[in-house]
Amino acid sequence: MSENLLEIKNIDVTFKTRHGILKAIDNLSLSVNKGEILGLVGESGAGKSMTGAAILGLIDPPGRLSSGQIWYKGQRIDQAPETIRGHEISMIFQDPLVSLNPLRRIGDQLVETILTHMPITKYEAIERARKGLEEVGIDPERINAYPHTFSGGMRQRVVIALALAPEPALIIADEPTTALDVSVQAQILDLLKRLCRERGTSIILVTHDMGVIAETTDRVGVLYAGRLAEIGDTRDILTNPKHPYTKGLVASTPRIDASSFDKTLYQISGSMPKLDAMPCGCAFHPRCEFVLDKCRSDIPSIIANRAACWLLDKEESLL
Amino acid sequence: MSFVVAKNLTRNYDLSDPLIVRALTMRPKRILTAVDDVNFSIEKGTTYALVGESGSGKSTIAKMAVGLLKPSVGTLIVDGKNLNDPALAREDQLALRRRIQMVFQSPYASLNPRWRVGDIIAEPIKAFCLIDGIKAQSMRVSELLEQVGLAPSDATKYPHEFSGGQRQRISIARALSSQPEVIVCDEPTSALDVSVQAQVLNLLKALQKEYALTYLFITHDLAVVSTMANKIGVLNKGRLVEEQSPAGLFSRPQQDYTKMLLNAAPSINFD
Ligand SMILES: Nc1ncnc2c1ncn2[C@@H]1O[C@H](COP(=O)(O)OP(=O)(O)OP(=O)(O)O)[C@@H](O)[C@H]1O
Ligand SMILES: Nc1ncnc2c1ncn2[C@@H]1O[C@H](COP(=O)(O)OP(=O)(O)O)[C@@H](O)[C@H]1O
Ligand code: SF4
Ligand SMILES: [Mg+2]
Ligand SMILES: [Mg+2]
Repeated sequence: MSENLLEIKNIDVTFKTRHGILKAIDNLSLSVNKGEILGLVGESGAGKSMTGAAILGLIDPPGRLSSGQIWYKGQRIDQAPETIRGHEISMIFQDPLVSLNPLRRIGDQLVETILTHMPITKYEAIERARKGLEEVGIDPERINAYPHTFSGGMRQRVVIALALAPEPALIIADEPTTALDVSVQAQILDLLKRLCRERGTSIILVTHDMGVIAETTDRVGVLYAGRLAEIGDTRDILTNPKHPYTKGLVASTPRIDASSFDKTLYQISGSMPKLDAMPCGCAFHPRCEFVLDKCRSDIPSIIANRAACWLLDKEESLL
Repeated sequence: MSFVVAKNLTRNYDLSDPLIVRALTMRPKRILTAVDDVNFSIEKGTTYALVGESGSGKSTIAKMAVGLLKPSVGTLIVDGKNLNDPALAREDQLALRRRIQMVFQSPYASLNPRWRVGDIIAEPIKAFCLIDGIKAQSMRVSELLEQVGLAPSDATKYPHEFSGGQRQRISIARALSSQPEVIVCDEPTSALDVSVQAQVLNLLKALQKEYALTYLFITHDLAVVSTMANKIGVLNKGRLVEEQSPAGLFSRPQQDYTKMLLNAAPSINFD
């Protein structure tokens, strides 16, 4: 078995609101192996970003991690996430401007990040910063440039250089390429893949793009309404999805294919429930074509290490 | 002649410093040609897709097509009438505008948050004086809401009460309300999740079949247009560099730029 770098066990993230307690994440468990890219996919509001925030201890009140445990390199970190944040685990956000200070030269920002995490001299830090820029394909001579002189794609590369500078073992990348052109997206995804290969860095890649999942990730978890619907090997999940929601996502993704002209796309009817109007039983049951009686009352947990769906239970018992 | 014709469509932007600054610094004028001599034509009831990367000039063309922006050179001709003809009388211009509507990229920014959905949808009906009487207008709004898969009771709600996909349906209902023949869709599904995107694309297609609508469909996503487009035009830095049917474009792209776009597009197919 490969080594678990991160393990999330049965976590809940809850918000206390006027309408009562809302569960943004409900009993989520997953693990990240060393050197792998784990994708997290799902509709907007499914809880993808919240999962990343929970790992880093960055959930804003009134939200909180109200139950479960998070383990990193064999240590429990949910009590004191600041010990690993930035240093062991770093974050890349969708908007590079969240991580970059527009008023400071990129080199200064890199050097400062390096110095807060590593016991080295300023001179060594500058050398590292230059190497870091080179690694993400930016001319180190531009170390004294300000962020606004870069294009969107270059800024996102600087952000990646910043995230990499402390040499973290795990990077959480939340929609890192959603705002970028496909050509720049392809470069950045290649860069992330190369890092995993060369440095053994692990990545949690949050995206809502099934194509990005297919081309970049080793394993993928599908989230629906704060719960894990399905998890497994990416190729397996996309070519042979077990959960009806995953099936719907795969089927509704348009493909670059001349034969798709004038064909109606598969569509999942309805929309994801709001947290204050969660249906009983399986959260997907109002939209599911295969719904069983049981689905309306009982919440399925992950069956056969694969999908949270009562259909798998039936399949298993037939075996 | 085709139903919609873009002829030598060109748009320049003046990015120069103010005259006084230029005089002091002796810097020349800086002109950006965002759209450069673009020609295409669309047959009635079909979809022409324009694809290209950010900044290639797609939205600039969209705005010129609906008359929100004046071309620097060239014109758009719809049903034989020149949209940018200065000699066109005001009422003729208005009549032409009614026939071309637009659906915008962001369903969040394009709907006035302080207006009720019913008023948003009725706005073109009132602006073009299409139906008299509040009662008849609200009946038409109910009909439009049902056409896009929403409920007549939604007319009294505000945009924030709807999801992204539902808001895009509201935009489509508004675009339909003036009974247009041409709809310009500027990245209508870019802000939506795939499952919701499929719903909106299917809706646009069904409406096209029903009303013989002509679409100018703008997107950066080649996969999205593969189900929609009769013809695809590839835009690079303001210039139309290639034009083909989807089948031709996907199997025999002519330009390196097109090949690059096709290669870079993340694909869910494993091969
Ligand atoms: N009002 C303006 N003033 C100056 N330049 C402009 C203006 N509007 C657009 N441009 C420039 O014109 C070019 C084309 O812009 P346009 O908005 O048409 O791009 P687009 O293809 O729609 O891109 P995106 O995919 O990002 O929406 C860009 O270089 C843009 O910066
Ligand atoms: N401050 C808050 N109060 C209540 N609910 C919240 C708050 N912040 C986020 N949520 C809810 O948590 C859920 C998960 O959000 P998020 O992780 O951002 O989704 P994703 O990244 O998958 O789009 C959503 O239903 C969202 O509405
Ligand atoms: S548990 Fe039931 S409702 Fe839920 S996805 Fe499976 S079959 Fe559908
Ligand atoms: Mg998010
Ligand atoms: Mg645009």
